[in-house]
Amino acid sequence: MSSVTDRLRAQLEDALSLHRRGELAEAHLQDALQLLDQLKAPTQDLLYVQAASTSPFARLNGINMICDGRQIEMPRDPDEWPYQTVMDALRDGWRIISFPNPALLLDDEVSVGLGCEFILER
Amino acid sequence: MRATDCPPTLTDTQVLDFCKAGFLMLPGVVDAETNARVVAWCARNPRHEPSDLLGEEWFVEGVLLQAEAAGAVRSLLGQNFRLPLIVSNHRLELPCSAQSWHRDGGSIYGPEVNYLQVFYYPEACPPEKAPTELLPGSHFLFSHAPWMGHYNAVRGAVLSEAPAGSIFLTAYNIWHRRSASAPEATGVRNQLKYNYWRTATPQRDWLTEPGFDLETADYSSPWTPTFREQFRECFDAAEMFCWLCGRQDEYRRLGGQGWPMPAASYEWYDIRERPGYPFGPAGREST
Repeated sequence: MSSVTDRLRAQLEDALSLHRRGELAEAHLQDALQLLDQLKAPTQDLLYVQAASTSPFARLNGINMICDGRQIEMPRDPDEWPYQTVMDALRDGWRIISFPNPALLLDDEVSVGLGCEFILER
Repeated sequence: MRATDCPPTLTDTQVLDFCKAGFLMLPGVVDAETNARVVAWCARNPRHEPSDLLGEEWFVEGVLLQAEAAGAVRSLLGQNFRLPLIVSNHRLELPCSAQSWHRDGGSIYGPEVNYLQVFYYPEACPPEKAPTELLPGSHFLFSHAPWMGHYNAVRGAVLSEAPAGSIFLTAYNIWHRRSASAPEATGVRNQLKYNYWRTATPQRDWLTEPGFDLETADYSSPWTPTFREQFRECFDAAEMFCWLCGRQDEYRRLGGQGWPMPAASYEWYDIRERPGYPFGPAGREST
């Protein structure tokens, strides 16, 4: 299968030939522009979740999703969040890149943050 | 700074509820005439920190010393509390997006209540107008504000939606943020913020309830999740309440199933024998 770069080169060579014959139409250039868009590297999507325990089956108490460079607005009702557990997110294609860090829990007297945090990406 | 006094208005139960939640809502306590006067004043003085408002006696009397608000402040900070010296106005052009969660700069983590952060809505603030969002009980959760930037939707968070003239008191370090307004919202939203200060040694001089007993009081939180190990919220609320009672030096907790863990399941038992109650027979007599 030819790469996007190869297809873009072929598209532009065709357009050049058409231009020399006086037959170049806007549609040929639009096709080239669409191929150019495919050359952009996709932005990494991030999913931060805070779970009730370190289990991937534990209920989520917090969620923040950043897709295509934008923070996704979450419903106020937690029951309407896109995922209720870490496992829900894994089943939807997310991959864990950070597990809850026990280094934050060395002082038994201090409750830190919102609990067990997983960070996922896709 | 001007100090003042007034009768306390909160009961034991209400003070303990403040310890659990970290905030207290007083809906619609400021009269309509004062609210309108504040809105007009803010329109003429649309600054972020319009502290010269504190020089307006009608504002001091109608808002800062409003009976229910000042009575609640008196209950939590003791007699001769000091009035604010700075006023901020979270004046927004709507629509607006949500802020990051944060606790305000200057926060100190612990059970002491030496000052209160107070918010006042001179106009109604429904969910569409981006009311402050609060996380109940979070005044006991440690985090530096820059480490909260990745949090967004949080289970258990509440909106301070309120009618005009509402005041809410908060523990200074409670987690909060401006919520997102409705996309179609227009106009301006004013929200004034200021601090009151303690001058007196803490003591239980609010409205004491005859049946209220430190040993059998329910220290568990109605706000869930607590984001802590089970029953830790009882320890936190009990310690803050004991500090407010002026008994911090005596405060102890044994752990396990001892005081101040909830005792509802021990009703068949002689509650007076709760293990770990730190104030002993003498403490029982004085409560």
